[in-house]
Amino acid sequence: MVKTSSVILDNLQILMHHNPIIIENLTYAYPDGTNALSKINLAIEAGERVALIGANGSGKSTLQLHLNGIILPQSGRIKIGKWWVDPENLRDIRNFVGLVFQNPDNQLFMPTVWDDVAFGPKNCGCQDEELVQRVQQAMMMVDIDPERYGARNTENLSGGEKKRIAIAGVLAMKPQVLVLDEPSAQLDPRSRRQLIELLKSLSLTQLVATHDLDMALELCDRTVVLSQGQIVYDGATEKIMSNPDFLLQHSLESPLSYSRPYCLLKDLPVR
Amino acid sequence: MLLLHLGAFHLDIDSKQATFWHSLAPRTRLLCALLMVFAIALTPNGRWWTWAIYGLGVFGVVFFSRLTKTVLLKRIAVEFAFIGTVLLGTLFRDGGEVLWSWGILRITSEGLTVLGSVTIKALLSLLTLNILTLTTSVPALLNALTALRVPPLLVATLASMYRYIGVLIKEFQAMRKAAASRNLARNNVWQRFVIGNMIGTLFIRTFERGERVYQAMLARGYQGVPVVEKVPSGGRRDVFVLTFTIVLALLGQSIYLPH
Repeated sequence: MVKTSSVILDNLQILMHHNPIIIENLTYAYPDGTNALSKINLAIEAGERVALIGANGSGKSTLQLHLNGIILPQSGRIKIGKWWVDPENLRDIRNFVGLVFQNPDNQLFMPTVWDDVAFGPKNCGCQDEELVQRVQQAMMMVDIDPERYGARNTENLSGGEKKRIAIAGVLAMKPQVLVLDEPSAQLDPRSRRQLIELLKSLSLTQLVATHDLDMALELCDRTVVLSQGQIVYDGATEKIMSNPDFLLQHSLESPLSYSRPYCLLKDLPVR
Repeated sequence: MLLLHLGAFHLDIDSKQATFWHSLAPRTRLLCALLMVFAIALTPNGRWWTWAIYGLGVFGVVFFSRLTKTVLLKRIAVEFAFIGTVLLGTLFRDGGEVLWSWGILRITSEGLTVLGSVTIKALLSLLTLNILTLTTSVPALLNALTALRVPPLLVATLASMYRYIGVLIKEFQAMRKAAASRNLARNNVWQRFVIGNMIGTLFIRTFERGERVYQAMLARGYQGVPVVEKVPSGGRRDVFVLTFTIVLALLGQSIYLPH
């Protein structure tokens, strides 16, 4: 699986930007003066799948909103693909980076599923046949049947379906980077599994903010740990997950899959 | 009209039928309905024959579109309960012969004419609009509005109202359950105070949600104005039905022309 996807990636890298995300010295403070991010330096390569973990309020969402230009850098700078994040390049940046919000109810705002998936491509000026094709493709990618779901109201769907449609709405814009905010939150085990398989099958650069460390371990080779607005770790996922002391220090806990095979007291994350 | 049927949030129960009326483009249906409502409402009081002709047209559509009549009647009944209070006021007015009096209350022939006229106007208009909402889904109606060159921003606002009203109701019900599960006292004053607070909270949450929805829109390349799609021009049937509606409207008015 890993091998085949890496072959696909090699082919794709010709099209993809080499370093889609570069963040230099990014600092951001809320209007009330609270520091949300301080001195963030991060570079993500094309095709990488990176987990962004950290306690509540550690700055994960704020960092992600920067990547799409929803929040502009107060100090420091961000380069997305070949564009610096500033008001002039927002249009290109938003086509380049797809942002999937945590609560699909905030993202699915059109009356029908079809209209919602078509929202992004329409804003890029996509029309007629091309629009239909893009929407159909995106819906097929997330395993949502366009015929069955197209005319349905976005309100009367299950959480898993809503999540996948939200992702389809972003995929329809053909982004090169996918930024997801807690994608597995509030999903039942099967929907969560479907989501993991879906993300695995997408050969895009991905930045996944999550509390679901089992998922992070399964999906991402690289993990970035944020704590109080600072990057405290950036490296291999396996290495950080097997360091319960460090995780505990930053209000996190080793994933269950790490304690399960041994079931020894000494492997307990909390001592 | 949306607000009155919150309990059963399925408005367009008859939109999947295959009749002549359903084969028309939604905007033609919308345009015909609006034309009829204007014609009905702008007819001066007391012109019973005009309304008789319009009534024939409206009941014709009720019959031919194979509506679920019980639902139509129920909706009209609920809506009439609201209009009834307004109607009562029209009864007691001066002018014409006094037919009945009791203290300061007087029923005059003029009052009766106005009451009868307004009742018929309300009934026919409600029938027309209910036929429209029963047979046409809300997204189709919104598309129809866009096709009729209603400002896209206004249509987008209506669309998000339709989308989020269910979310808001669920949120409010969740709050009510949460209050009940912590033994919300039966004391009336206290209960009103709590419900007031809930509505306030709901308002703040709506505001925050609006902010997040807007961010999600921006993230997908929204530039401040919704994109308008091209719509196919109407077929021969649509032109025919529109012409027929206009002729019917004029015919109704022409009866009283010689006078």
